[in-house]
Amino acid sequence: MVNKKMISIVLGLMCVALTIGICMQIRTVNDYSTKIGQNYDQNNLRAEVLKYKEKYENKVKDIEKIDAELEQKIDTASKNNTDLEDARNQIAEGNKLIGLTEVKGEGVIVTLSDSVLDASSVLNPSSLVVHDLDVFYVINELKNAGAEAISVNGQRIVTTTAIECGGNIITVNGEKIGAPFEIRAIGLPENLKNLDRAGGYLERMREEAVGAELKKAKSVTIPKYSGIIKFKYAHSIE
Amino acid sequence: MKHIKKGKITLTIVIGIACIALTTVMFMQFKMVNQTDIDELEVMREEELRTELAEWKNKYEEAENQYNSQLAKLEEYNQKEESETETAELVQKELDEVNLLLGKTDVEGEGIIITLKENSEAESGIITSDNLNMIVNNLKEAGAEAISINEQRIVNMSDIVTVNDVIIRVNQQRILTPYIIKAIGNQSYLESAMSGNGSEVDKLQKLGHDIKIEKDNKVQIPKYDKDLKSDYIE
Repeated sequence: MVNKKMISIVLGLMCVALTIGICMQIRTVNDYSTKIGQNYDQNNLRAEVLKYKEKYENKVKDIEKIDAELEQKIDTASKNNTDLEDARNQIAEGNKLIGLTEVKGEGVIVTLSDSVLDASSVLNPSSLVVHDLDVFYVINELKNAGAEAISVNGQRIVTTTAIECGGNIITVNGEKIGAPFEIRAIGLPENLKNLDRAGGYLERMREEAVGAELKKAKSVTIPKYSGIIKFKYAHSIE
Repeated sequence: MKHIKKGKITLTIVIGIACIALTTVMFMQFKMVNQTDIDELEVMREEELRTELAEWKNKYEEAENQYNSQLAKLEEYNQKEESETETAELVQKELDEVNLLLGKTDVEGEGIIITLKENSEAESGIITSDNLNMIVNNLKEAGAEAISINEQRIVNMSDIVTVNDVIIRVNQQRILTPYIIKAIGNQSYLESAMSGNGSEVDKLQKLGHDIKIEKDNKVQIPKYDKDLKSDYIE
């Protein structure tokens, strides 16, 4: 008799557990199917992003074509006119400094890389990575040393460039870049090299075990700005 | 006796089947839960995708505008090719645009003016070049097109540094408190970037420095008054 009671209790418990399990299962399945719907959305989104990216890139190519044509026009127009010739040279020189053309020249290449030390071996693991501020200050110091053109991981620094922190990566010109950071600068190498002086910023970074290396280079190539610079609010006044 | 034994066997079988069913369901459950976690990650990425999409759309629109304006320029050239003076005018326009972007012209437009007055009491500390650098960076983030600090125009290669721990130099020129930072751009973007909680300006204010942010529809910013050098660019 006692045995029968025990068996009933065990069976009862099992039934309850089973029912709970089934209920949970049904709920998860329901959730899951809505997520499949979202997955579908996501693929659409991804496709949309790619579509716009492509459209943008095509437009930029079109712009480049038109710019080349415009340049040609100005060329022919200024052939026999010294005033125009002068203006044309100023435009070409200006575009180099604005960042609208690729430039080459002597300078330095600074490489900042995260520490190779194990994060658990130090008190403050955050000190082992290169931060947006490090990149920012190195660029500021290069400007101070007379740099004429600068890029970070292929992103040209222009007058509207901001350096934003975004977790493990930083954003330059709206493009995400990550360590190691390669900062290129054109200018007098002897002056730019000053960044590597005793007590300077690079040395302080190395004291934190972060990789900070400066190399002089005979010829540094700095790409042009990949976006568009157009002022909407600022107008020249006499 | 035989009857009891039969009943027991049936019971055992039933319990056994129930056990198997239960275990199977539990495993299915575990598997589901695992998959659900991965899905949640992907849902998070969906938001990222949305911002990414908005960014590219924006970029595309900008490109479209630029394309149209360049196309208009080209058409103008084609029409005016005959006349030399008119072509000269167009080249001049192009040069004006270049000088505007370089910072070689005085500019005017809507924007904000920030006045930072250093509190001389020791506990506030001093306003450093790092503070000014951050403010300039935040302004650029908010889309500022032209910026000046104490009438020193910030151009692409402008630096803001501290010399001998106390002297702040912008464009190699010494500047002193009060620091007046002017920026031209979308007023509300600029203002919210400056006045937001945790912004650089906010931090300085909390340290006790006297700070004022004003909107102005006609901010005037002077040109960069030195030569822009390109001695080392080939």
